[in-house]
Order: sequence, then C-alpha cells, then structure tokens
Amino acid sequence: MIELEMQNVSLGYDHNPILRDLNLKVSPGELVGLIGPNGCGKSTLIKAFSHIINPLAGTILVDGRVISRIPRRELSRMVGVVPQIPLLPSTFSAFEIVLMGRNPHLGLFQSEGPRDWNLALQAMEKTATRSLANRYVNELSGGEIQCLLIARALVQETRAILLDEPTANLDIGRQVEILDLMEEQCHNQNLAVLAALHDLNLAGQYCDRLILLHNGSIHAEGTPSEVVTNSNIKEVYGAENCVYTHPVNGLPIVLVGAAGK
Amino acid sequence: MSVKELQDITAELPKGFLRQRWHVYVIILVIVLLVLVLATSIGSVSVPFSTTFSILADKLPFVDITPSWSVNTETIIFDIRLPRVLMAGLVGAALAIAGATYQGLFRNPLADPYLIGVAQGASLGAVIGFLLPVSWNLAGFGLVPLLAFAGALLATTTVYLLARVGKTLPMTTLILAGVALSALLSSIVSYLVISSGESMKAIVFWLMGSFALSDWSEVGVVLPYVAVGVIVIILFGRMLNVMQLDEEQAQQLGVNVERLKIILLAAATLITAASVSFVGTIGFVGIIIPHAVRLVWGSDHRSLLPLAVLIGAIFMILADLIARTVLAPTEIPIGVITAICGAPFFLYLLRRRKKAIF
Repeated sequence: MIELEMQNVSLGYDHNPILRDLNLKVSPGELVGLIGPNGCGKSTLIKAFSHIINPLAGTILVDGRVISRIPRRELSRMVGVVPQIPLLPSTFSAFEIVLMGRNPHLGLFQSEGPRDWNLALQAMEKTATRSLANRYVNELSGGEIQCLLIARALVQETRAILLDEPTANLDIGRQVEILDLMEEQCHNQNLAVLAALHDLNLAGQYCDRLILLHNGSIHAEGTPSEVVTNSNIKEVYGAENCVYTHPVNGLPIVLVGAAGK
Repeated sequence: MSVKELQDITAELPKGFLRQRWHVYVIILVIVLLVLVLATSIGSVSVPFSTTFSILADKLPFVDITPSWSVNTETIIFDIRLPRVLMAGLVGAALAIAGATYQGLFRNPLADPYLIGVAQGASLGAVIGFLLPVSWNLAGFGLVPLLAFAGALLATTTVYLLARVGKTLPMTTLILAGVALSALLSSIVSYLVISSGESMKAIVFWLMGSFALSDWSEVGVVLPYVAVGVIVIILFGRMLNVMQLDEEQAQQLGVNVERLKIILLAAATLITAASVSFVGTIGFVGIIIPHAVRLVWGSDHRSLLPLAVLIGAIFMILADLIARTVLAPTEIPIGVITAICGAPFFLYLLRRRKKAIF
C-alpha cells in the first residue's frame, strides 16, 4: 500500500511558483481526479509526484518517505506514470515499448524473461492493445499509444499510478474502457491513483474524490458532488449554470449551452 | 514456471521477438578472425594464408606447430603486420561503439564520436606534439599521442563543464558547446598546420589517420581502454533503449538519467580519445557503422552495441588493408579509404531500408 502526500508544497519552474502551499493526500484504493483549467498546474503536480521536478518548498512524501531521498529505480517500482502522449521512437514495436515497463525491476546484468513477457501480454490484453504487439509505434494513433502507455504502467507493477490526461485522445468507447480499467485496478488492488483529467463529466463519474486547481491553489476538494457545483464551475471556468444531475446515478454532469444566455 | 506454461507464453509473443542472435554473433566473429588472418597475410611480402594461420596459431597457448617458415616471415607477420591489423580492429571497434553510444544518448542520428570535441582536442594536442622540439615517453604514450590524449580529454571536459547547468546536463547545450569549441580548436589547428613548415606533411597525414606506426606497445596501451569501455557500454544497452523515449519517461522507468549520461559519455569519450591519440582522427566509421548495423539488424542497443564493435573492427581492418596495398609502397590516408568505400555501401543500405531505423 502506498500513500502519496504533499505538505505545504509549492511547485513551479525557475523559482516562479505556479502552485502554492498545497496540502493533499491520495490514499490506497482511492481514485483521485485532478481538474482545473488549462495551465493550472495539473501536469506539474504529476511531475512532482514522479520526482521529475523538485518542489520549491514543502515536502512530498511517497509511502511516508521524502521523495527526493528515494533512489530513482526504487521510486519507479513504487509509482508508475502515464505521461501525456509523448513522442515515441519509431524504432520499437508496441510490445517492446510495453516491456520497457519492466526496466525498474531488472538489474544491469539481467534481461527480460518469460514472466516479464507474460506480464506485458496480459497488460496489453487489458488495454485492448494486444493486436498491436507487432506494430511500430509510428504506425499507431494517439489513442492507441495512450493505451500502450497505460499497459506499460501496469507492467511496472507499482502501488501508485499517476495519469496525465489519460483519455485526451480516446474515443468515447475507449475512454470508458480505460477508466473502468483504472477504477477496477484501483479498488481491487488497492492502488493509489491520481489522474489529471480535463473532462469534468468523466472525472465526476469515475473519481472517488476530486481536487479542483485554480489560481495556484486548491480551489475545492471533495466528492464529485461537492466539487462540481454551479458556483465552483462559474468561479473557475466562467461558465454559468451548467451543472446538472445524472438521471441514473445522481452524480454531477456539466452541460454547456443548455441554460441559454 | 512449467515448460508447458513457458511454451504457451513464447507462442504468444510477437513474431520475430525471440529471434536468437547467437548464430549472427558467431558467424561475424568467425569473419573477424578470417579478415584478421587475411589482412595479416597480404602486404609487400606476400605470405600464404595457411602459413600466416600457422604462425598465428603457433602463438596461441597450448598450440605448438613445427615452424615451416623463416624467422623473417615470422617477424613480418607477428611483429609488423599483426599489431597493425589488431590496432585497426581495436580502433574500428572503439569508434563504432562510441558512435552508437553518442547517437543513442543524444537521440541524434548525426552524432559521431567527435561531436563534443574529442577529435579537435586530440588534433591540437598532436600538432603541438609535432611542433615541439623534444621527444618523450610516458606510460607507453609517445609525445604526440600523449598530447593528443590530453588534448582530447581537456577539450571534452571543457565542453562538459560549459554545458552543465546545476546538476543536469542538457544534451542540446552539450552539442552546441561541442560544436563551438571544436570550431575554435580546429581554426587553431589550421593556423598551426599552415605555419608548420616542413612538418606539415607529417601533421596532415596524422590528421587524416594512419596505422603505419602501430606496434605492439601501442596495442598494449589502447587495448585496456577499449576493452573496459566496450564492456561498460554494452552493459547499459537496455538503459540506452529506455533513453530512446524521452528523459522524463526514462526517469519514470527507473533510469538515473544524469548518472547514465556521465557514465556513457565518459566511457565513449575515453575509448575514442585513446584510439585517435595513436592513429589520428579517422572519420566516417563512428557515424556510419552504427547506422549500417541498425539497417541490417535493427535498433535494439543490446544487439546494436556488440554488433557495432565487430562490424567496426572488420571495416577498419579492411580499410587499412586497402590503404596500404592499393598504391603500395605509398600509403593512402585511412580516412580517405573509409569514406570512399564506406559511403557508397552505406547509401546502398539506406536505399533498400524498409522501416525507420532511428
């Protein structure tokens, strides 16, 4: 079980904080959504939890340990990351890209073996990318690459997963598949999952808890019904009266234009 | 895991993934040995292939062959030609793997072992060595190689320190610093060459590369560098693969990116510096051999790196053979041969490629 935590953390680049004095926690078995307008710092927060950047102030804890004291290889066995569609080298097959998720578990003198191959195949099965195994990544669509990266994170066998806009390039069917998968992994395997999402409806439907970032700090935090409210959406996004209730499950949904001007 | 389960898994793997490469390595290794014996046989005094083979085999431990050859022949083969051929093989191997390493680290197909100043630093050191009116020997290095080696390390260290930002080493800055310092050093070299008077021919010949002076003592100095460097680099093959993603993803997949850069840059730079100090700045091999290997056997660094070593060695031994025999007794600078023979072959490979290599 791994818990992710920030205590009084400021984040930014070149000493210009874009997020100030953050206090937040992601517990095992909890799917937490990170929402907020473009540029509010969602990706920066993800980078801080994977120690790509250091905090300007405050303490970031992974499993109760200060993140900067955890060796890189060990950290990558604790926290897996699904980055926002990166450029992948065109010289590797989809299977080889997924297999790279095993890197943190292999020593200098080791090579991947049957167990690693099996894990990669299973993860590709779960993310519906098995049929792509032989294809080179330059032949794949953005959505397919996103699913591959999720498979790679699963292969990493970490107790916490960070996702940066995991559904940005997916069609609606794939969005549901991927978030169903993340929800299932999170709750069944007790993973701590933090996902930056820009789709408020998906965030509201899937997340146990939402963190709404705005103007450099946490604007609201709580269950989807507590966070996705007319007043919060107006303050952060400037859209008025667009929060409705899902007719089946009662969770908040956002519809623009329905209220008229 | 049972045999049955293992078979089930391997049956599911993508086609070609498990293709074993051992026979490729064995075949190429045999070719290396054949080329080595062939190149040792051919020269101003022609020695039959079988005799060369016997002479060389006789030198191996536990092999004893009654000599059917003259002492002179043995001297030519073992003391004159063999060290030269071995040196060519070592330097070819070193430049090829260093090139592959730089290309992988910089994620840039145009990178070569001289990208961050090794060649220009070595050249300046060597030219100064030629112009100084003294001679000297330290740890197996004569004055020219010693100054070339020092120049190469000094230049790359300067580039490294210039490019470093805090605790990180941005690769783009490193390339730019390397290009700038190389330009500065090479203008100084040009000026010194122009004003060098009667040593000019020797200097120009050195700059274009030659194995004419290679002997056992030089092989003995270069071998440890190349051996250690090659082993270190090959160990990090899988990490280099992960580095082909971007640095952020590599870190998220457990690669200590900054440490990896330093280890690989140091290893590749040391073997390049040790090689060029003795034989001059031979161009082309370091950039073209890795690409040729990628074109034929793919881009996985775990096979690319060892194959580059072997193919680099074969290529350089053959290039040197041509350099010393075609216009004998005149020697052609090796750099001329590597480009004239290598470029058309590389272009041929490039034209028939089917998928991306980089």
